[in-house]
Amino acid sequence: QGSKMMGAGGQPIIVLSQGTKRESGHQVQIGNITACKTIADVIRTSLGPRAMLKMLMDPMGGIVMTNDGNAILREITVKHPAAKSMIDIARTQDEETGDGTTSVIVLAGEVMSQAQQFLEQKIHPTIIIQAYRAALEDAIKLAEEKFSRSIDVNNDEEIKTVVRSCLGTKMISKWMDLAVDIALNAVKTIRVDKGGVNEIDIKRYCRIEKIPGGTIEDCKVIKGVILNKDVVHAKMRRRIENPRVVLLDCNLEYKKGESQTSLEIVREEDISKILEQEEIAIRKQCDEIIALKPDLVFTEKGVSDLAQHFLLKAGITVLRRLKKTDNNRLARVCNARIVNDTCDLREDDIGTGAELFEITKIGDEYYTYVTSSKTTACTVCLRGPSKDVINEVERNLQDALHVVRNVMLNPRLVPGGGALEMALAHALVEKGKSIEGVRQFPYKAVARSLEVIPRTLVQNCGGSTIRQLTALRAKHAQSADNWTWGIDGCSGKLVDMKELGIWDPLSVRIQVLKTAVETSVMLLRIDDIVSGTKKSSGGDGPVKEMPM
Amino acid sequence: MAAAAESILALTGKRTTGQSIRSQNVTAAVAIANIVKSSLGPVGLDKMLVDDVGDVIITNDGATILKQLEVEHPAGKVLVELAQLQDEEVGDGTTSVVIVAAELLKLADELVKNKLHPTTVINGFRLACKESVKYLNENLSFPVEELGRQSLINAAKTSMSSKIIGPDMDFFSEMVVEATELVKVTDSATGKITYPIKAINVLKAHGKSARESQLIKGYALNCTVACQGMPLQIKDAKIACLDFSLQKAKMHLGISVVVDDPVKLEAIRREEFDIVKRRIEKILAAGANVVLTSGGIDDLCLKMFTEAGAMGVRRCKKSDLKRIAKATGATLTSSLANLEGEETFDASQLGHAEEVVQQRISDDELILIRGTKARTASSIILRGANDTMLDEMERSVHDSLCVVRRVLESGRLVAGGGAVEAALNVYLESFATTLSSREQLAVAEFAQALLVIPKTLSANAARDSTDLVAKLRAFHHKAQQNSKLSHLKWAGLDLENGEVRDNKEAGIFEPSMSKVKSIKFATEAAITILRIDDLIKLDKEEPRGGDQCGA
Repeated sequence: QGSKMMGAGGQPIIVLSQGTKRESGHQVQIGNITACKTIADVIRTSLGPRAMLKMLMDPMGGIVMTNDGNAILREITVKHPAAKSMIDIARTQDEETGDGTTSVIVLAGEVMSQAQQFLEQKIHPTIIIQAYRAALEDAIKLAEEKFSRSIDVNNDEEIKTVVRSCLGTKMISKWMDLAVDIALNAVKTIRVDKGGVNEIDIKRYCRIEKIPGGTIEDCKVIKGVILNKDVVHAKMRRRIENPRVVLLDCNLEYKKGESQTSLEIVREEDISKILEQEEIAIRKQCDEIIALKPDLVFTEKGVSDLAQHFLLKAGITVLRRLKKTDNNRLARVCNARIVNDTCDLREDDIGTGAELFEITKIGDEYYTYVTSSKTTACTVCLRGPSKDVINEVERNLQDALHVVRNVMLNPRLVPGGGALEMALAHALVEKGKSIEGVRQFPYKAVARSLEVIPRTLVQNCGGSTIRQLTALRAKHAQSADNWTWGIDGCSGKLVDMKELGIWDPLSVRIQVLKTAVETSVMLLRIDDIVSGTKKSSGGDGPVKEMPM
Repeated sequence: MAAAAESILALTGKRTTGQSIRSQNVTAAVAIANIVKSSLGPVGLDKMLVDDVGDVIITNDGATILKQLEVEHPAGKVLVELAQLQDEEVGDGTTSVVIVAAELLKLADELVKNKLHPTTVINGFRLACKESVKYLNENLSFPVEELGRQSLINAAKTSMSSKIIGPDMDFFSEMVVEATELVKVTDSATGKITYPIKAINVLKAHGKSARESQLIKGYALNCTVACQGMPLQIKDAKIACLDFSLQKAKMHLGISVVVDDPVKLEAIRREEFDIVKRRIEKILAAGANVVLTSGGIDDLCLKMFTEAGAMGVRRCKKSDLKRIAKATGATLTSSLANLEGEETFDASQLGHAEEVVQQRISDDELILIRGTKARTASSIILRGANDTMLDEMERSVHDSLCVVRRVLESGRLVAGGGAVEAALNVYLESFATTLSSREQLAVAEFAQALLVIPKTLSANAARDSTDLVAKLRAFHHKAQQNSKLSHLKWAGLDLENGEVRDNKEAGIFEPSMSKVKSIKFATEAAITILRIDDLIKLDKEEPRGGDQCGA
């Protein structure tokens, strides 16, 4: 292994810029592993139903309270490049499945640390990598074929059990049934069948509206849209049944052109002419709207006082300055088309899908409800004693929503509570025995590292790790039918997940495996870190230090 | 040495001459080679590069590593450029070219120290390079047809084996070869077949695993439709590619319109809107139902598209549009104005595709253009755990695409795993003995330098390089001496097991062009550095009017 450092000739020859620092060989590998372990240690305690929350304070003094792996890591600033990759994977996991962010980090950290022993025994990283890959592939195959079962998407009860097990680890678990209902209803509302393919777009059509005050029991799903807005004029109607809705994204006020225009007025009467013209323009806009006899007008831009007056006289309720996303959701609720010039308004642009428009006052703020029982857009209205609590409830619900979506798209479940991991670990160890050569050791190491999930579960609820884990291992070894046995995260006892009803979507758990192993593979391949390389031209960069 | 010369020069600076500069250059070159050395071969490892902002790049690609390094030494810079050149010309083999060049320099330095004039060494190197290229083309390469498609896949595999996608090379090699075959273009005039791999769009989306990367027959565009009311799927699409914004006409900065009649103000306002409206009407009237533009689409105009049932996509990359235009047979229109000064949009400017559809991949949405009419296109969507990994995957896939293209275009392969280098070494050594001039020494050293590749390969695999290389050479010697044993010329290293095997049978191929180029480039670079006998480095001039730039 000949990796001489530069300038070995004796005389100092500057080859690289002096700001560059280089580390190579064993030191780097150990450094990377340590970094990963450190990150995993940070969030280890937030796995499982006995998870603790972390309170994070940002430099501005803001507080985040959460046990969501991704949310925690997002707030942490790390310096070590390998640690950054770890944080990245939590994000990937979150985007892809929305759940399992803690598990992925814990698992990746363990997979990395298992590699350390092999590196110390001077096994070449490529061998370890090959074995890891093989193990991953086998694990995925096993999970898909052997250790999972499919469910009926239309059976609410079954889906509810899945959501329940997901939420079991979260703060919202005290209001379990409520949360489960909310998640299920919301996803069912926004599910659209598109030629045999279910489309569930949570980001776009399911909005979570947070209203501080009240109690968590008041949270509910509203089929339709809630807007934190009031009508522009106090005299406008606040409740309309079956409204005819016009959606605009233009100003209802006199607007200047894009080009720079300047108007030179010489005569006095021209001023009044200009004002008059502005009035005429608004008048015209309003007339065009009024001609269609809508009950409701929403616009993304402003509404001038004059336009308000005209519309009020016509008995039309107006709301202004909507968000684009809200307007899109409204379009879906009302079956309206967003129009951006009043002269283009036509009868078929008007939405008649909404059943009720109502403004209610919650606390001291007005909230607009536009609802319809047939709609495919919904809003989850969250109430709670404080903003921080609601924020955490929102994160929990996001996870729950994603879980429901994942199950609906891929209706296969695996047992939770570390049962899947244990079953896989057992199967992999058995399989590893038939592998020839050195490769079998790293292969089995993957199996061992999978045990970190049940182990951490036991740890977090204060159980006796060694005893419980040995018992669990024995249980799985006894008979292949015991694959659903895992750890009850509350008591630390061994239980059959079938009885406890803890099931996770397969897609989440598989993604955890994939991401964790692939990241470790990537990090294990590194044998050299050069820091302070150039990005911007000019000026030598500050000397980077490598922590850890 | 340096201090003595200082007073003679008018400017302040340092001057280094003679042997000392040569040694310095060589040391620098060797240092650069040492950095990339450990990333060579199927058991090579990666480098992690952290820049001053803290962004991380993980890579195995020699050119990328060197590009990121801030090399200060001038001779080092030559090597960095060398890697870049190889990257542009061939796309693969960047690491090996640097290593060979550095080794050539090292050995040449020894010769010069033994009082051989550099020009003699240079001549010898030139001769050796010419001879080896000739021998390689005549004896060591074989046509693709001999092994068919499998050879393409194997060549792709060889290039991937050292990369992060190595463990999945069966999967990716298949994908890469298919992608390249899809973009085959036959020049109708000359009948020449080319594979413009630039037409393969490589997109990255994190999530899932590397195995779930997909090849898409068609062009994938990393954009979404401009508004939700638009259809997400259009069959039998007529595509208009525009390189201007569909936004309200706006006067350029500094031009202001002066009106005296207030009524006209409204007219101007209206006109601004109408200009763009007319444009869209023309485009839609020509039959377009998919409009791709590199600029923006004003919210005002979205409704026109929605009503016409057309898809509008804004802020596409211009490079994407160019490729789409090529693939669909559309014309990338930068202005609607025609020669008469009027605005027209002709139906002939539209491109055709069987289907344009917006699809959800991970958290993102992509627009796929399938069944393009003019020529086929392909896209690869890479999936992986995180961004750093995806970036490296992209580089690896790109390298493999280059290799496949080279193989397809040149149609000749050589065996990899140090087979070529060892064969050339044996050949050149016997060739050297036929020379009776001083060049003999240089040719012999050139032969010796080539061995650095098998040596590094085996060193990276933690094998006994001395032993393995000796065995390898013995095989090649036999092959060249005894015409009955000529099949032994494919002997190369098996790094997994640390043995010598027939690499043609094992399917370790490299495009012969890549090898030829890398030998040529390495020689040229070595010669360039070798010719230097004087280095004058001027001190930075003191900035007179205060410090502005600093660097």
